[in-house]
Amino acid sequence: MKSPEAGSKAPPSKQRRQVARSVTTSKIHPILVYPFRNPEDYTHLKALYAASEEWLAQPQIYARPMTVIDRKTHYRAASDPAYTEFRRKTVEAHSEILDAWTVDTCQMWYTALGAAYERGSSKDVYWVIPGDFDYGSPTGSEVLGRLPDLPAICAELDQDICVGEVSTDPCHSKQLIDTHGTFALLYNWFPAEARDIRQYTERPRSEFFAIRHDFLGDMLKRRWYAYEQTMVMLLHAVFGKKRITRFSVGDISDLPEGRETLASAMQQVERTERVVKSLWRERHGARTGWTDQYRRLEAQSEQIRRSALIILEKLLV
Amino acid sequence: MNRNPYSAHRNLRAINFFCQAPQAEKVSLIGDFNQWSPDTHPMRRSPDGTWTLTVELRHGHHRYAFWVDGHLAIDPRAQGITRNDQGQRVSLVPVS
Repeated sequence: MKSPEAGSKAPPSKQRRQVARSVTTSKIHPILVYPFRNPEDYTHLKALYAASEEWLAQPQIYARPMTVIDRKTHYRAASDPAYTEFRRKTVEAHSEILDAWTVDTCQMWYTALGAAYERGSSKDVYWVIPGDFDYGSPTGSEVLGRLPDLPAICAELDQDICVGEVSTDPCHSKQLIDTHGTFALLYNWFPAEARDIRQYTERPRSEFFAIRHDFLGDMLKRRWYAYEQTMVMLLHAVFGKKRITRFSVGDISDLPEGRETLASAMQQVERTERVVKSLWRERHGARTGWTDQYRRLEAQSEQIRRSALIILEKLLV
Repeated sequence: MNRNPYSAHRNLRAINFFCQAPQAEKVSLIGDFNQWSPDTHPMRRSPDGTWTLTVELRHGHHRYAFWVDGHLAIDPRAQGITRNDQGQRVSLVPVS
């Protein structure tokens, strides 16, 4: 274990400045994902955009941040003066807004990462920052100070992907979904890759990550699955022997507006299963006799999904 | 080479490393900062079996591991996990 003698005592704002200074050979593209459900209180988003002022102040390191907003979110809130003012005075003042009609958060990522990728170049790093976390809390503020480490690690250590791991309560729905759903399904469909991924992270569906230009280009040009992109990217990173880093960003919670209900948790497990099944077929479908193995794995997968749903029902209701 | 004498890259910060290996006979710290040499940064054993060392590191992110009786061991408390140039799993420390 290591303990910085004085490093952890530095204020988050100072840490942010110093981390950013270390990256000089590539451009970092921050991509802020506006919450799908517009928040009633803007405290946390204000803290996030206040942090972005430091990136704006370093144009040699950071590209102008991009905020992707779903048009449904916009139209639902368009008659609310608090939203229109926040959008104009804060979001637009600190970032370029990318308005997009999207079916889900993954499409928001795809749209924004694709738009940023087309402006980037080979050494650039793209950094996704979800907007629906409690950045305005004391712990959220600390996490904001650590988030710039993700693209900095990609740039400094020449990593293809750096996944930010958030520490959560073991009974938090995200943790339960990953333990009983995501990893169980991964071990069924991709056991060797699952072992490799788990050596890095307990949160393979993290929404915090930074990715290098070439690897992002490779991912964007592949079939883009409708869900769980971080997990798909990690699988492809393992398939392609890419350079992966996990970095703990601290203790932060998603906002109540986006918190999982049992129905949402069940849906996430079902989505994960659909993605890993599709990916497995994509990789093995050309092989003679693949259907026998597929049927066996599918039968096991169904048992895993049913068990996960029973556990989630016990723990989340 | 950064020629700016005030650059953050030149800042050195003392970082404490701890390795729990009470049965070990020899432990050293290896990393990017010493070319992964087991001879450069030997750690000192405390009475409770913890091996410690304070190293001054430059601002940035550093890959490291413990070399415990000839075997590489990652730091279970490290803030990050990555691989070294040989593809071995190693730990990551940010210095700001």
